[in-house]
Amino acid sequence: MNWLQHRIWADQHALQQTWRAATPFPHLIIDDLLSDHDLATLVEILDEEPVEFATTDIYAFDATAVVPATSAFAALREQFGASLAPTLSLLTSTTVQRADMRAYAYRPGHYLLPHTDYQPEQQRVLAYAYYLPTPDAPDGGELELYACALDSTSSNDALGPARLVQRIEPRPNRCVIFEVRPDSLHQVNEVLSGLRLSLAGWFYP
Amino acid sequence: MTSPAGPGTLVGARTALLLAEAITPAVAAAARQAIADAGWQRYAFIDRGSYEFVDAPPIPGLLTAMVALASQQTGRALQLQSARALRLRAGDYILAHHDAFHEGMPIELALDLSAEPIANAGVYYRRRGQVFFVVPSQPGAVALVERGPAVNCSHAYVSKRWPTADVQRLVLLLR
Repeated sequence: MNWLQHRIWADQHALQQTWRAATPFPHLIIDDLLSDHDLATLVEILDEEPVEFATTDIYAFDATAVVPATSAFAALREQFGASLAPTLSLLTSTTVQRADMRAYAYRPGHYLLPHTDYQPEQQRVLAYAYYLPTPDAPDGGELELYACALDSTSSNDALGPARLVQRIEPRPNRCVIFEVRPDSLHQVNEVLSGLRLSLAGWFYP
Repeated sequence: MTSPAGPGTLVGARTALLLAEAITPAVAAAARQAIADAGWQRYAFIDRGSYEFVDAPPIPGLLTAMVALASQQTGRALQLQSARALRLRAGDYILAHHDAFHEGMPIELALDLSAEPIANAGVYYRRRGQVFFVVPSQPGAVALVERGPAVNCSHAYVSKRWPTADVQRLVLLLR
């Protein structure tokens, strides 16, 4: 599977400029990431990976396990990380070497409330989401990026008031990559109807 | 105000119970009006919560009655320490990490002032991160929960699929 087939990867200088200029924090949106053939192969692999409902106060969705259930999905995860890590390291000027990956299914009523992904002990450097085609396109499910300031009066990375800056539609074959930092506040809007499928995870040093 | 129909639903321990029909719809409606007249304020830090609130709501009779009810149910001589009205509409929530831990063993009283129940819009009490008591959206019901230093709670996300949802709660801390 060729994760770097898109011509956009060839111009690292332009990508770097896009990355740095993106607001409210560095991010990239890449449409048509995979070829039609590779996308079909990916969907076949995911068909065999079981999902379970997961919920806390901050989210509700169906997700695959942290450890892949099938060897094919495990191999896909390893290949994704190995393929993209060198290029993303150059792009972001931060060394990343591997990625984790889970598949997520957001059905009506599912959501992911505002959070940053920032947990220093986890060493998450970059977050990503890759959207897949579904038989019934979702109403909702957009990835929203917020601008906010760190609350200097707090000792635990509390955030100040937030302002919505980017609303990114979960279009099939679109990949979003963004920097994880104390103020990378984002959420997934509730899905009101249809189905939103994605692969998502983080890149690590 | 009506008396509880029975001893209530005891869940897990004496520290967490739910009393149905603790107040009538008319009492709830009057409380909602008095609180609305005081003026809702919106909480603006969305990494912790999205909701409206009124601190020290001007409903002295209802507060006194709730303190008496809690004292009767718990067998403790409780005093009101703080009172806050909360309002969650479609898309609103209060996350667990927004809730403070309390020293000692205070009682939290949560009275559902809503006019209508809303699916999945419950209050989740956690002890050391594990949910031990869920208060459903049930207008007129009152929950009594012994807090303690390892207990906090969250108010579940209110789905935008119910665009007219209007969850209102009176939350008291009693010692």
